[in-house]
Amino acid sequence: MAIRNQDDIAIIGWDVSPMERHTAKTETQMLLEVVTGAVGDAGITRAEVDFTCAGSCDYVAGQAFSFVQNTDAIGAWPPKRDSHVEMDGAWALYEAWVRLLLGDIDVAVAMGSGRSSTADPALIYPMEMDPFYLAPLGADHVSLAALQARALLDRGLVTERQMAEIAVRTRRDALGNPYAQIRGEFDIDDLLGADYVTAPLRRHDLPPITDGACAIVIARGDRARQLSENPIWITGFAHVSELHYPGMRDLCTSHATRTAAKAAGLDESPVQVAELQASFTHEEPLLVQALGLGPDAAVNPSGGPLAANPIMATGLIRVIEAARAIREGRARRSVGHASSGPCLQQNLVCVLEGNE
Amino acid sequence: MTQVTESTISFPYKRSLGPVIGAFLTGLAQQRILGIRCGERVLCPPLEWDPETGVDLVPEDLVEVGPAGTVTSWNWVSAPTEQHPLHHPFAFALIRLDGADTTLVHVVDAESIDAMATGMRVAPRWKEGRTGHITDISAFVPGEQSVAAAGAGPEEPVTMMDYNASITYRTPITENTERAERATEDGWFLGLRCPICGRTYTGGKGYCPIDTIELKVTDEVELPQTGVVTNYTIITPIQYPGQTETDPFARVHVLLDGFDVVMGYQVLIEVPNDEVRIGLRVSAVWASEGEKGAVSGWTDSNLVGWIPTGEPDVDDPTLVNRIN
Repeated sequence: MAIRNQDDIAIIGWDVSPMERHTAKTETQMLLEVVTGAVGDAGITRAEVDFTCAGSCDYVAGQAFSFVQNTDAIGAWPPKRDSHVEMDGAWALYEAWVRLLLGDIDVAVAMGSGRSSTADPALIYPMEMDPFYLAPLGADHVSLAALQARALLDRGLVTERQMAEIAVRTRRDALGNPYAQIRGEFDIDDLLGADYVTAPLRRHDLPPITDGACAIVIARGDRARQLSENPIWITGFAHVSELHYPGMRDLCTSHATRTAAKAAGLDESPVQVAELQASFTHEEPLLVQALGLGPDAAVNPSGGPLAANPIMATGLIRVIEAARAIREGRARRSVGHASSGPCLQQNLVCVLEGNE
Repeated sequence: MTQVTESTISFPYKRSLGPVIGAFLTGLAQQRILGIRCGERVLCPPLEWDPETGVDLVPEDLVEVGPAGTVTSWNWVSAPTEQHPLHHPFAFALIRLDGADTTLVHVVDAESIDAMATGMRVAPRWKEGRTGHITDISAFVPGEQSVAAAGAGPEEPVTMMDYNASITYRTPITENTERAERATEDGWFLGLRCPICGRTYTGGKGYCPIDTIELKVTDEVELPQTGVVTNYTIITPIQYPGQTETDPFARVHVLLDGFDVVMGYQVLIEVPNDEVRIGLRVSAVWASEGEKGAVSGWTDSNLVGWIPTGEPDVDDPTLVNRIN
């Protein structure tokens, strides 16, 4: 274990909202509760937070500049440096981490929120696609994922049975996760007997539609040690994007994931837990391969995005679950992965280590 | 049961195309498919830059590809959305057009899923009334033969593209908002007073942003219906969709009596625009039983607006700063 210095940054608290098919709460209310929960978990108050960054999406919210009212959740007084990314909260965490690296402030909160139940995600997703070649075709995320699944199946890199096995495993693992939306014991042959939603994907290959939010608190070196008995250190953090247009990429690999993992130093020693934003079953083996994970790494023991998928928070929850694994002693070193864009276009890798 | 409000947002974009995408879409209008040379490769659809190096690719490097091609991946859409180009079951596919090294995302109009296979050959079926749009190919169809369509397409190169989408949202209404709206239907203003700082909020706000706590039914207070104009604006309407006003009109901010609450952008009635002023004492006017539902304004409330009380103006130079 390397000696941590003042420039190292640690996760010291977090909170995750209930994961629901339909929430009656506003995004701001969901955020307000998880920010309260996260700063409470860190043993601080909002007044001690120097910087905040939120990840959310106006197309999901159905409102322009929806993030402006979400800032109420941070607390209007005392004033804070604030930022927002139109990205999953994992990228908000990245920005907060970069902000703390500047060294002039010590504590930051990152959050992610999404209420995707209010409209049809199949109509929302095309809005974020290439505006000339993809959006006018109504190219939805499930169809684009299915094109990648078929490419993997045709190449023999995965089978429909393996995909169903992943669904069964994650739904079973989700039984231990109070936040999970989809969980239980399922029979592989029953799942494979179901109709396709869009061939080659069946219902169990898809993530649920989920409303939810999460928040995480990070702090710099000495402040982290002062505030927390068990700070969880961010030892590597990188994100890489590749070409947007799926037809220009080899869909059977994830160059961006591999590059980000290398930049984050993931291969320097084994991880015991990997929380991956594999929103579709076939993405899991692809990501495991691109991250170079060994057989000893437990993949998505929380159930992962197949158990709860609050768009714009799903990726940050992966980092939180990877941190939770260390806090609960299930891992000494873990990795959180987040993804954005069609067919795993952009990928973020966050490597975590405990104190000892 | 949570109440929801339904709203449809339309996204009517006009996009400029630039030299490469414009040429590609102009080609489609002419029933030709263009790729672009990029080193040893041909990219279709054409990009404006080399994805490996970022170097600009130029229209001179455009080359015709296809029209037939090979399906390299596909999925079967059994329940199309309103945004999909076909309204019966179809396949999305990655299609490597003859002469291209990358694949085009488009749709295949096949009779059934059984007619689809990786490696199958497809050709474009052109649309009539082409405008220079990715859907000028109405779909690819199985086989080697493209299906031509009548009409020559636009005479000039295509430089702009329309994109229209709409999304319907069903947004839950929080209990606080519902109770506040019911109050205005019944002719009164509901406030929520923070038990910590005492600040009072209107509109059913669910929390105090200063103390970051939830506000509950037990925090409700009835607000007064008289106040003073603190600031105003005279709006000259432009006729965007939904704007029903045609002549310049006033919107005022009203500081309620005895409460630290400013109601913003309120309707002022029976006051000519040149007599609107800071310090004017006003009182709320509600729709009568027969007028209910006919009130035009910014919300569904039965508040008609604010009318002068006839009391002397308030002379306070700090009032102007109160806009919230």
